[in-house]
Amino acid sequence: MLNKKSRSKHIGILSIAVLALSITTASADNQNVNNQAPSEQQASQEPGSFIVKDGKVDPNTYQGYLTYTRHCQACHGPDALGSSFAPSLSKAAERRSFAEIASTIAGGLQIQPGRVMPSFAEDPSVISNIGNIYSYLKARASGELGRGRPKVIEEMLNEEEG
Amino acid sequence: MLPETRLAIATIGLLAISMAQANENQLELQQNPDLWATQLGNYQGHRYSELDQITRENVGQLQPQWQFSTGVLRGHEGGPLYVGDGRLYIHTPFPNKVFALDLEDEGRIIWSYEPDQDFRVIPVMCCDTVNRGLAYSDGKLFLGQADNTLIALDAETGELLWDASNGDHTIGESNTMSPLVVHDKVIMGISGGEFGIRGHMTAYNVETGEREWRGYSNGPDDDVLIDPETTLMMGEPIGESDLGLTTWPEGEWERGGGAPWGWITYDPELDLIYYGTGNPGTWNPEQRTVDGEPADNKWAITVFARDPNNGEVKWVYQKVPFDEWDYDGVNENQLIDIEIDGEQRKGLAIIDRTGFGFLLDRETGELLVAEKYAPETNWASHYDMETGRPVVNDEFSTFAQGVDVNTTDICPTAMGAKNMQPSSYSPDTGLIYAGINRICMNYEPFETNYVAGQPYVGATLTMMPAPVEEGGMEGRMGSFIAWDPVKGEVVWEVDERFAVWSGALTTAGNLAFYGTLEGHIKAVDIETGEELWRFKTPSGIIGNINTFRHNGKQYIGVLSGVGGWAGIGLAAGLENPEEGLGAVSAFSGLDEYTKLGGILTVFALPDSDT
Ligand code: HEC
Repeated sequence: MLNKKSRSKHIGILSIAVLALSITTASADNQNVNNQAPSEQQASQEPGSFIVKDGKVDPNTYQGYLTYTRHCQACHGPDALGSSFAPSLSKAAERRSFAEIASTIAGGLQIQPGRVMPSFAEDPSVISNIGNIYSYLKARASGELGRGRPKVIEEMLNEEEG
Repeated sequence: MLPETRLAIATIGLLAISMAQANENQLELQQNPDLWATQLGNYQGHRYSELDQITRENVGQLQPQWQFSTGVLRGHEGGPLYVGDGRLYIHTPFPNKVFALDLEDEGRIIWSYEPDQDFRVIPVMCCDTVNRGLAYSDGKLFLGQADNTLIALDAETGELLWDASNGDHTIGESNTMSPLVVHDKVIMGISGGEFGIRGHMTAYNVETGEREWRGYSNGPDDDVLIDPETTLMMGEPIGESDLGLTTWPEGEWERGGGAPWGWITYDPELDLIYYGTGNPGTWNPEQRTVDGEPADNKWAITVFARDPNNGEVKWVYQKVPFDEWDYDGVNENQLIDIEIDGEQRKGLAIIDRTGFGFLLDRETGELLVAEKYAPETNWASHYDMETGRPVVNDEFSTFAQGVDVNTTDICPTAMGAKNMQPSSYSPDTGLIYAGINRICMNYEPFETNYVAGQPYVGATLTMMPAPVEEGGMEGRMGSFIAWDPVKGEVVWEVDERFAVWSGALTTAGNLAFYGTLEGHIKAVDIETGEELWRFKTPSGIIGNINTFRHNGKQYIGVLSGVGGWAGIGLAAGLENPEEGLGAVSAFSGLDEYTKLGGILTVFALPDSDT
């Protein structure tokens, strides 16, 4: 109960930031996938959407994996599984909307004393990849994507390069 | 028996010489076997006790007397101090509470102290908000707070006597270490190697908290307090000036890390302090090259011997020039007197992060022994004993493999084959006892930008259990070993499911003690490693096991409370490198065994056995 209360207050304060954020995210994603066919681009642009085929993933989800390991793993543990320091983000992705996750990443979070999630608002390499992080977390949460470093689905890689 | 007697005589001799110089109160206390007055047991970092009430024969009877919850959830490193006043002094991770507990009243709180700190320091603490404990001298307790404030408390009342600022968390500096009192000075380092800080070691006046000297880990000689004409390297004067500046690309030394966040040891006779420095700034080696070539990045990952009176550097030994693996060189330097090739030497032994066990001459810094204590170690084949440099294996060189390339199966992991968990040296056996990590890694450097106060890491890594040798425990991620520092050989090894992240203790009762990440405290036979006793504390142990005697009774005290880098890396378990992607891991996650929570447990024998 208590947690919920403080969370909604917190999100209230941040909703403006989130709004601004989702705009940046969309435009950054556009750059990442600019060579994809329009229909596919649509699919992978939706934050949280992902494709897993034989343990391989679409380029955006892969970008999400890279961003997670570079910026989040140090606290949240390998493969979004959580650690003694910070909660499992694949579990969080099951319960939380994109707006909630994005707001936490941009604004930080401190519910329990001594547990601090920093704000990444000033870090463009995280902010421009929020949608991709969410896709990676959703892929992990679905159980379709296993642990470790995924490979990119070859056809989609070619599309991106070509 | 004979070597023991010889040692006793040597100790008395040493006492006589040093009394005039060292911090008399601290030295006096550490020479009383009833007490545990400094985190490492003595200045030499032995973590050995002459107490022998608890023995191989009766340790099976050891029982918890009482437990005390600190009310703090994060990883609890360090351990209780006992200075003979009937109380135990303990500390916690952030918010760094301090408690004086009544030993005669089952740990009743005599006083407690809680600093007021900016919580924004928490995210710049790379690997949990740990603290390695209090220091004591002449009725004062010293604590290095997470937010870089060094404080002195009146041990009698818990009243704040003075505070001093040792750093700035807005540029990524923080503190996790235990200060050391030498003469009239409290000496403290700094953390923040993952935030591009510039490492330093600083001395403050015991009475006033005034700053007396500061020696940096990098930059011009004047800042490092090196004199190239007199400061030795491999037994010879360095000769060249400002190596702390010229072995870096333009300006990179200013964010060159070298954070000394581990333990300091002290030789009262030579009047020198010893400590090691951490990794050189970003983990991406490419960004630390000079003209595209590997550069030494001095003085990161270096053992420093300094004069505690003015900070001047007597000698340096760089264990890893041009780091490519985050092999932070902060592990404790144990000061041991040994016989090597028929000659008595003043030695300095390190169970190093790199997987190598080093032995140096602590008067000159010459390298005497460098052998692998963790046989899986593969980043270097060996050390060149002439130059003192490692012979790096190209296959595992993250620089040779390149930026954005995932170099795989490097051993040990960035956590090191041993991290901060302090080992124990028994003068009875001449061996070092250490909890170690058996974990390897994949490491992928990437280009990163420096932003003050933001992580400056530049590499991603994934970890997996080290290959198991013949007869080893399947899937084990840690061991407790007995190491011969002169021969450079493992004498015995006990495997553990998880990395052994607790400080060891040896006693004259022929026992070695250590804790496990699942939460066991264990006593083993010092000669064989055979387990004689265990007790499951409520949370994983990353603290150190200390012992002391009060009113004729020998106690063992330990803080449990899982966390630290071990808790972050191992909570979910590691992937089995043998299995395909996505397979369910055969390696257990620490999360299945233990949860957070700081508890002090105090053990003793039942009255009938004492
Ligand atoms: C310095 C450590 C640290 C880093 C780095 C970090 N986090 Fe966190 N994060 C935390 C902590 C601690 C919490 C829990 C805060 C609390 O409960 O009070 C948290 C909570 C969260 C939550 C809320 C979970 C929930 O159940 O709602 C999300 C989402 C999150 N983090 C995402 C991220 C992402 C994405 C990154 C990388 C871009 C990241 N974090 C990096 C420490 C960290």
